[in-house]
Amino acid sequence: MTTIQMPQLGETIIEGTILRWLKQEGERIERDEPLFEISTDKVDTEVPSPVSGVVTKILVPEGATVAVKTDIAEIQDDDAGSPEAGTAVSAPEPGTAVSAPEAADAAPSPAAATPAPIAASAAATAPGPDRGPRSQILSPLVRRLAAEHGLDLAAIAGTGTGGRITKRDVEAAVAGSSAAPLSTAAPMNAVAVAAPALAPIPSPTVAGAGETVEPMSHIRKAIAQHMVGSLQTSARAWTMVEVNVDHLVKLRTRSKDAFSERHGVKLTYLPLITRATAEALLAFPRVNGEIRGEDLVTRRFVNMGIAVSYDQGLIVPVIRGVDAMNVPGIARAIADLAERARSHQLKPDEVSGATFTITNPGPYGSLLSLPIINQPNAGILSIDGIQKRPVVIDDAIAIRSMVYISMSWDHRIVDGELATRFLARVKQNLETWDFAEDLGV
Amino acid sequence: MAYDVANEAMHELAERRLRAEAPDTLILLEHPPVFTAGRRSKPEHLVWSEDEARAHGAEVHHIDRGGSFTFHGPGQLVGYPIVDLGAVPDAARYLRSLEEVVILSAADIGVELHRRDDVQTGVFHEDDKVCAIGVRLMRTRVTLHGFAINCDTDLSWFGGIVACGLADNGVTSLSELADRDVTVQEMRPIVARRLAEVFDLVYGATPATTADRFRPVAVA
Repeated sequence: MTTIQMPQLGETIIEGTILRWLKQEGERIERDEPLFEISTDKVDTEVPSPVSGVVTKILVPEGATVAVKTDIAEIQDDDAGSPEAGTAVSAPEPGTAVSAPEAADAAPSPAAATPAPIAASAAATAPGPDRGPRSQILSPLVRRLAAEHGLDLAAIAGTGTGGRITKRDVEAAVAGSSAAPLSTAAPMNAVAVAAPALAPIPSPTVAGAGETVEPMSHIRKAIAQHMVGSLQTSARAWTMVEVNVDHLVKLRTRSKDAFSERHGVKLTYLPLITRATAEALLAFPRVNGEIRGEDLVTRRFVNMGIAVSYDQGLIVPVIRGVDAMNVPGIARAIADLAERARSHQLKPDEVSGATFTITNPGPYGSLLSLPIINQPNAGILSIDGIQKRPVVIDDAIAIRSMVYISMSWDHRIVDGELATRFLARVKQNLETWDFAEDLGV
Repeated sequence: MAYDVANEAMHELAERRLRAEAPDTLILLEHPPVFTAGRRSKPEHLVWSEDEARAHGAEVHHIDRGGSFTFHGPGQLVGYPIVDLGAVPDAARYLRSLEEVVILSAADIGVELHRRDDVQTGVFHEDDKVCAIGVRLMRTRVTLHGFAINCDTDLSWFGGIVACGLADNGVTSLSELADRDVTVQEMRPIVARRLAEVFDLVYGATPATTADRFRPVAVA
């Protein structure tokens, strides 16, 4: 049974008036469906229901004004085993009670890492009541389903309002993948992973001469599982193009001081490439898509994951709606996310929801890379090192700054011709766009 | 842009913002003469009858915003920020931020305005209102409606209503206060810039779908 309270719409807003009940006692309501309308002295709004179920009691009538947090209604939700079961306690699941030990701040010792007998129901539970990795309140049913199938909730795309994971999303994730898809990175208040992929370690590792043994950190394990899972999930293929970025190198050299003075961040090639890629993704939506269940999902927006390396390993913060941003905006977003990644300040919903990912090992010195797809994306783009090379232009040899840009892509979703055309589009954008105007200097 | 067309498009944009299909967006525009009645409007707040208002050439719309009646028309810069306030919204802070945007924008042209916390949300000069602010939330998190700044609005329109239900108070405009013609065109970039500052946002290109709905005057 879930109790609905008068919400607080702001720190100084202390009461609200019920304008209208949109459901009456005895009526059924679905999660996220508007349940009632309120008016406060500042704003009005309709309020969605946090659960699916039947409205059993309306405690405050229309027209009444009550203080925030006052109980105003009761809903018998679908997932409660019996009327006496409260919201925080559902039908007996060993996983539900496990909240403290799964907290990410303690690196678990090898022996206690994952109790094997209850591995199947060790729910992916973050500390706190019913909160999933994106701080969305999840229904007990969703958590139980995910736990039963050994799924990491951080890797399941949510199609409910605000990205919430619904029962159908979990079922689709179960149907769609053989290996348990696991998150790339575990954020600080992270989701502990049910780990069928890692065998229980019977005894601690002993260091031999000249060896150092340290337990794998929580994040390291999550990265490991994601990478193996990714290779087991996607039919990975790889294509590469070579791009002439000579004009971009010159543009950056002459504009970088004015850019950083005007926009407060350094101008690197990554925002330029991100912008060019975002346009190409909108032109070739399959490459920006993903598989859910037996369906192919494409969208008209791009949330770009940008791989960032930091002290804990690898994390992929996400720039949402990057297709609507200009180069200075993207540069600022990248700088902000990277800084907060390194200082461990990213929020859960900033490391999820990517529709495509870019990795940029170039500055570290690579020429060519074969990246692993960030599930559940259809592709990942690698930008390697920019180098002056001899190239042929109009049948003569010239020296130009060139870069290899390659993409690992999932052959279940995308075929070779599409992947190649997409990369050709990225190349064309980079080689022909006039970025000078977009720099705003 | 006609009020009902803009209102419908704004709601649609807010729905898309809720589903993370659109970014936070600012829409700046002007309306042809229209009186809008919010949820707290009372008949005695309308001096003219609805028929009289229409006879004068204004439309009348009853809408889901809070507050009482207000007027929109040529010479008034109307702004609809469609912003996701997040899972723990602070609507009071959002309103104060909108007030801040307007106060700073007016200061940029040398006009000093202030809040009247004890009276009502909005931006004032002494007892006269320069900018009306009215907001609604969608699903408790995405903002709808916004603000309306009198730049060189014909203030006689306000005779048709007891603006926002405040009987003893008047209205004025930036032009009156600055003693020169302050146009919507002049204020638009100032307001856009100050809003980005106060809300700590960066403007990107207008998404194609938004631009289509809000042509030709949309700025995002």
